[in-house]
Amino acid sequence: METHPDPIDLLSSALVGREQGFVELRLHRKRQRAVAVEKGRVETAQSTEHTGVGVRVLEEGTFGFASTDRLDVASIRRAIDQARAAARASARLRTRAIDGMAPADLARGRFEVPGFAETEARSLDEVLDLVLRTEARARAGANQVDSASAAYSELLEEKAIVTTDGARAWLRHVRPELRVGAVARSGGELQRGSRSVGVTGGWECLFRATSADGLADDAARIAVDRLRAGYPEGGRKRVLLSPALVGLLTHEAIGHTVEADFVMSGSCAAGKLGQRVASELVTLCDSGASEYADGAGGTLPVDDEGVITGRTPIIERGVLTGYLHNRESAAHFGVAPTGNARAWEYQNEPLIRMRNTYIEPGNSSFEELLAGIEDGYLLDGPANGQADANGEFMFGTQEAYRVKDGVKGPLMRGVNLSGRAFDVLDSVDGVGREFRWDLGSGHCGKGQPAKVDAGGPWLRCQVLLGGRG
Amino acid sequence: MSAPQSAEQSAAQSSVLRPGDERERLRARCRTAVERAIDAGADEAEACASANSGTSVQLEKGDLQLARVKESESLGLRVFVGGRIGFASTNQASSDTSLAQLARDAVTLAKLSPVDPSAGLLSGSRIDPRPFLDQPRAWDIGPERVVDWAADLLGRIRAFDRRISVDQGAVNFGRGSSAVFSSIGADAAESDAGLSASLFGMAIDGDEVGGFDSRGDYARNAEGFEARLERLAREFGTTVLANLGTGRAQTYKGAVLLAPAAVLDLLVEPLVGALSALAVQRGRSAMAGKLGEAIAASAFDLVDDPTDPELAGATGADREGAPAVRTPLVEAGVLATYLYNARAARIEGRASGTGHAVGGPRGVPGIGPHALVLGPAKPSDEGQLDFGRDELAPRLGRGLLVGRFSGTVDPTSGDFSGVAKSARWIEAGAVTGSVGETLIAGNAYEALRAIAALSSRTALLGGRCRMPWALVDGVSVTAG
Repeated sequence: METHPDPIDLLSSALVGREQGFVELRLHRKRQRAVAVEKGRVETAQSTEHTGVGVRVLEEGTFGFASTDRLDVASIRRAIDQARAAARASARLRTRAIDGMAPADLARGRFEVPGFAETEARSLDEVLDLVLRTEARARAGANQVDSASAAYSELLEEKAIVTTDGARAWLRHVRPELRVGAVARSGGELQRGSRSVGVTGGWECLFRATSADGLADDAARIAVDRLRAGYPEGGRKRVLLSPALVGLLTHEAIGHTVEADFVMSGSCAAGKLGQRVASELVTLCDSGASEYADGAGGTLPVDDEGVITGRTPIIERGVLTGYLHNRESAAHFGVAPTGNARAWEYQNEPLIRMRNTYIEPGNSSFEELLAGIEDGYLLDGPANGQADANGEFMFGTQEAYRVKDGVKGPLMRGVNLSGRAFDVLDSVDGVGREFRWDLGSGHCGKGQPAKVDAGGPWLRCQVLLGGRG
Repeated sequence: MSAPQSAEQSAAQSSVLRPGDERERLRARCRTAVERAIDAGADEAEACASANSGTSVQLEKGDLQLARVKESESLGLRVFVGGRIGFASTNQASSDTSLAQLARDAVTLAKLSPVDPSAGLLSGSRIDPRPFLDQPRAWDIGPERVVDWAADLLGRIRAFDRRISVDQGAVNFGRGSSAVFSSIGADAAESDAGLSASLFGMAIDGDEVGGFDSRGDYARNAEGFEARLERLAREFGTTVLANLGTGRAQTYKGAVLLAPAAVLDLLVEPLVGALSALAVQRGRSAMAGKLGEAIAASAFDLVDDPTDPELAGATGADREGAPAVRTPLVEAGVLATYLYNARAARIEGRASGTGHAVGGPRGVPGIGPHALVLGPAKPSDEGQLDFGRDELAPRLGRGLLVGRFSGTVDPTSGDFSGVAKSARWIEAGAVTGSVGETLIAGNAYEALRAIAALSSRTALLGGRCRMPWALVDGVSVTAG
């Protein structure tokens, strides 16, 4: 925040004379640098900035929100007044007053996730070289690869959060990601392969597990292999899910259903606290920290209500133990906030969102897990996913391998899988010991986007596959 | 980031301008940005700006959750220097100084990029807004009225059936203007204002939680909006209540009946992605080389119609200021055209695109349609939620009805796999009940040719497009 020496002072000054009730001010500076290349041509080389102040008030039992892109005291005060007026306008028709904001461990001071300064200082030349080289490598990956693309982006975020009840925090973090795609052709048939990586941190973190060249090679290989791959059979199958798909499972099947706002609307997790909902091999958490391995894409030391984040157990040894809360839902349930309130940009109000969601590692080796499948599939390569109120989830995979008598067979085309969340977790009979974050690229959507991550170990369970008949 | 402003400057910019005045202000900002870019060394430059404001009332947990007033403004600047592209965008460009900095940033980015011989703009001309985008009818609507509509919508849901839970929803009023100006003649600006409403939720009956559904509507005219809210509440309520009591479908391969939302997701969106001229040029489109060929059943007529004022995407000019006109994409099953923006047109040496540059000031223009209409442009009768089901289910006889599709469609191969949501089982041409945990799989491009019938009327999907029901053969259904 270069033009104002201290954004916390700016927000604090704007609050003077307007301290009554609950007021939350968030100055959010968001910059993005992005380069995209397809088939050797630069499609975009861009930098964007969107900065402003979001104002949320709790007045007469309801929330009002306003925002301004003008960083001066008068404009912020006008936004506070607009937010109050909006809250009063809707308070007259609200059925039940909001319980208030739960007391919390509110952040004061400066918080920084490593990697910001290093990434900000990196030259565009270096970024362009990375993207051009990666795209070229994917395109050269095999004769059948007809086209390739690579896209790099980095989100540099700086925030100041001041509330009337004591938060005075400043934080910054950077989230870079690289996505690679390849299209292979055989006759009239086209098949696509893709790989991506995204983290919270610098490039050292981004490429710690897989190099850009490795991503390009994988994308090309998947595209070519899929040309000659068959389709899996549909039906209920025993499967071995990769860490990336375990991440999708935790995020889609469980994570959304335990967001407390969804619970209050009646999701399938409502009323199940203390009940066994999964195999006792399963311990599932959401965390603002990057547990087990650095750089998880949803890492967040302080949430957008100024609450210090931490590890939030959701399922412990098969028993549902907690929901994900903001300060409003925590007050309703009489618990401490978990630091899950997140806003995409200054113009957005904080919503209950996941951060880094995962299943804790177990004791089995990959080989032991594979050996336990008599007739099923090994699945890898995440695609999109979605959860339903009744716990029915679906998510897509890019790669499926038939497993017979514990032996992995050839690649088959990706398939979507589905099931009831708690039924699938109850079917878990093997949890691997190696852990990986693997869902840090892309976004979760819930009215607003959010950068999240998810992961875990290899996991064996039973799901419904949508194959070709 | 710009320097802090005075309170007087802020106050002056807070008042609501009339549409014409706002457009002229944005055009002037764009013109200045382009001039600064040329000053900074650009050969060609294009600026796009938008200013938006409005009120949104969020519904959550069955109540009014939050009322939000919003104001935002952005400007994006695309420059070309010696066949190199650079783009910069900001919401902090209120002064000439900050515009000059933005121009320098864009030119710096361009100078670092590699040369692309086809990079550049297409020449343009002044385009005046369509009448309904010149003086929008719903320009002045206060926050109190939006709150009243939101409470009205919730009241209608509660009155419909107390088992319905609205997890999220909103009633929104938005108004805004946009402008595009380039150094080689593009000059277009228009204003728009509209109301929208959305509902997302499920029905809960005792211990049973039904599958969710989402519905939305959009109108450029406040008159009659209450009646639209009534219809939205009724359609949403009817669907989520019918999602209770799910039974089991049967596994088979054959025909399925797709509701309009599933037609859009499974058939139309993959096809439209494949019609991007850039996708064709880059070798990732299954429609490459198929101009003039039959790609779908003969009943399939797909048009992009930005002249239709009932559709939210209606516009007179695209993101690059080129004319946006009614464009047949597929006629009687035969592929009629690809979609072009300036970049795709220049790669082929065309003098003009097809007016399908899309996006806003925050990124470089993409390619896409504005307002899709599939099949006959005859809307369904008011209150006839299941018009196409009643028309086509007898032809299906026995099988699956897909209300929504929750899954993955690979736009390159056309392969799809996912869950049939708000799904029903049909026996002897009539719905016997709701079914859950049912997956469908197939290929979207093969499905286009396997369309056995489209309904004679279309549904307006959230103001985005008009889609019919479709009976499609050759789909694999896996029951859980």
